[in-house]
Amino acid sequence: MLSKKKYDRLGETVYQTTLANGLKVLMVPKAGFHKTFAIMTTDYGAMDNEFVPRGQHQSVRFPDGIAHFLEHKLFEKKDHDAFDLFGKYGASANAFTGFTQTSYLFATTSHLKENLEILLDFVQDPYFTAETVNKEKGIIGQEIQMYDDDPGWQSYFGMIGQLYPKEPLHIDIAGTIDSIDRITADDLYAAYNTFYHPSNMNLIVVGQLDPEETLDWITANQAGKTFAPNEPITRVPSPQAQPNEIVAATTRQLTVSRPKVSLGLRGFDQVPTGRAGLRYSVAVSLMFDLLFNDTSDNYLRLYDANVIDDSFGYDFQVQRGAHFAQLAGDTDQPEAFAREITAILADAATQLAAAKPQFELVKREAVGRIVGAINSVEGIANQYDGPLFDDATIFDELTILEQLSFEDLLAAARDFLAQCRQTVYTIFP
Amino acid sequence: MHFRIKDGVTLDLLPTKQFKTIGIKVDFVAPLQATAITARALLAQVLETSTAAYPTQTALARELSRLYGASFGISVLKLGTKHVIRLTCSLVDEQYLDNFGPQQPLFEQGMALLKEVLFAPLLPQGNFDPATFTQQRQNLLTAIKSLDDDKQYLANRRLQELLFTGQPTQAMSALGDVHVLNDLSATDILGTYQDMLANDAVHVAVVGDVNAERAQAAIADWPLADRTIADSTPYYRWSVRDQVQVGDDEAPVVQAKLNLAYQLPIYRDDDDFMAAVVFNAAFGGTPLSLLFTNVREKASLAYYASSGYNPFTGTLSVQTGIQAENQQRVTTIIAAQLAAVQRGELSEKLLAEVKASLLNARLAALDSPQRRLTGLLNTQLTHLHEPLAAWQEKLAAITVDDVTRVAQKVTLQATYCLHGGVQGAQ
Repeated sequence: MLSKKKYDRLGETVYQTTLANGLKVLMVPKAGFHKTFAIMTTDYGAMDNEFVPRGQHQSVRFPDGIAHFLEHKLFEKKDHDAFDLFGKYGASANAFTGFTQTSYLFATTSHLKENLEILLDFVQDPYFTAETVNKEKGIIGQEIQMYDDDPGWQSYFGMIGQLYPKEPLHIDIAGTIDSIDRITADDLYAAYNTFYHPSNMNLIVVGQLDPEETLDWITANQAGKTFAPNEPITRVPSPQAQPNEIVAATTRQLTVSRPKVSLGLRGFDQVPTGRAGLRYSVAVSLMFDLLFNDTSDNYLRLYDANVIDDSFGYDFQVQRGAHFAQLAGDTDQPEAFAREITAILADAATQLAAAKPQFELVKREAVGRIVGAINSVEGIANQYDGPLFDDATIFDELTILEQLSFEDLLAAARDFLAQCRQTVYTIFP
Repeated sequence: MHFRIKDGVTLDLLPTKQFKTIGIKVDFVAPLQATAITARALLAQVLETSTAAYPTQTALARELSRLYGASFGISVLKLGTKHVIRLTCSLVDEQYLDNFGPQQPLFEQGMALLKEVLFAPLLPQGNFDPATFTQQRQNLLTAIKSLDDDKQYLANRRLQELLFTGQPTQAMSALGDVHVLNDLSATDILGTYQDMLANDAVHVAVVGDVNAERAQAAIADWPLADRTIADSTPYYRWSVRDQVQVGDDEAPVVQAKLNLAYQLPIYRDDDDFMAAVVFNAAFGGTPLSLLFTNVREKASLAYYASSGYNPFTGTLSVQTGIQAENQQRVTTIIAAQLAAVQRGELSEKLLAEVKASLLNARLAALDSPQRRLTGLLNTQLTHLHEPLAAWQEKLAAITVDDVTRVAQKVTLQATYCLHGGVQGAQ
């Protein structure tokens, strides 16, 4: 059954269903748009490197970077490359791998049916051989090295590595030159068969589309394929660092014009499940806005003292099994940067109480950001986090934000800050 | 809809209910002069910081938040022989907001804020506030230096300097030059500011659910006088050199960046412009292209290998990220791809695919308010207005022969490699 959820004020409707094989499908028609964006996601990413392969009983530890490697190889088939099939219709296709998800996507302004079938077919028809796997090692090796030269990336992952010293997060999503060298075609099949079952995946289509017709195409495509019976997936929990094992500070040298500081905060509190998790995420993000965004007194004070400048930014994210914040910037005063931010966070309760008059302001700003994102088909699709927040969409996020009270913010801030652990990663010239 | 507001001041309105925001763009366009680039970049930075009514960036930021997170910024760009100071502002259309209450619509409030930024900057003693000026000059200085942290950017900048040796307007980045910046005073940029307001061509554009009356009314009280705009060409023409300029630097990089620049003397108003666009898409401009296929997919020599075409400067450039020891192999493959197209060896299949991809990109751009706005500057500078249908027809008509003819005009002019030394990775 195709369920329909209307958001009257926004003039948007979300259509949702789960197919017989377990694939979840969401559709958001956008009147007046020329483009349609589709993204198919499996709940499997770089973090999931030890699991019981489907049909087996023993868990296996796979080489780091396998999820990303699989993403690359899924495009290549025996006698063609899926990229070329999209190319025939002028659609642009891509894919990416995160810590907890792998996504395949395309954007098109014509031939939606054909492009959807290409997407479903290439994602659901793996072809891995020793030869094609070995060929990809050169390309991915170059990709890893490209990021080796990217100071922003190094700063971000350096910080994460210190926050998660024992967890798979401390290794680059793409793995290492050595780890990818050990990946075999059989490994890719084991990972594929375990995590690419339709019941572990979702497909979201946004833009120019007719929901009934689009669903018919998808249903017909899926009806023509057979899948193994749905079985629960057993991931082996990764080793977890204790709060006292978080490395407080590390420095490193790279060719940069100025020091780059990345201050990370790892949450050790329990993120609520379902939609409440999204409310928590929105509330903690607003807390950072109140303390650090460019409307805050802290921002002006630190800006005028040349501790921060326009390169300053921060981000809070919640993923399956991990939530953390990054506050980062280029500065000639890296020690003062870390000291000042640490002091503000230590004093957060007082500071937040004092910033209460700004609460409506930062909320308005967040509302504007979300409404702006609703302009874009990618913005709508990429904000969907699948099972993590119980299928909440960007429209639900807007509702949650509008209903959030200052007390909700304080409660989430207390939960996060009371148990979080901090690290500082500095890159010096 | 196109309106002439004053001599040299225009307003374009793209009325649509497609978006939940209203986008505004104001371009100040001046001839590109090496001496003025840096001052204009600094002026943009200072104007973006504060105004008389919002004297700190916090005060200005709070006003933007009050306007439901209006996004506002001032940037600079170079286009051919022109330098552009661009103000952009995007505001939520309040019909989508809960409890908006009785106040002026956000579009009008946003236009009032832009007016404030432009015509009432923070000038306490008749000059830019010294503290703000000094701080923003320093910030721009560090921002320019930090750009080089991005090694792909750095390699491209060095390539441009090599290609346009002795042609400073083209060699310089749109943000200007750090040495010039150090010597600029508040009085210098006050002069730049007055010059910009009095003499630049001004192009205002609005996209969203706004009618002509509202758009015109919102700009009616902006104190812009008539100005005379010399109808000078936006195209930068230059002579091809006999000798390829070769540059190479050692830096602590793991991956070498090999970039190439060519002359492709086909400009936006040339009959072969569309063929040049198709050529670039087939050569390296898309993931289907010859460079991507042959350097990356077939030879596994790179993660990225692409080309770009600038129809205002008549240049084609190639960017790759490779292992330093493979430089010769990659150079050979790139040259072989170009030579093949020059011999007419472009498959009908690839031609059809890149045409489909260009059409797709053109239509997709209609879904982005920003791209709807920024696309207008091309028309304003070139006076070439091409409706979608005419554009599609031209694209459809391009043949392999057209692409071959364009490819034969491509001449290698410079190659640059940023690498980690003979041993490569360190």
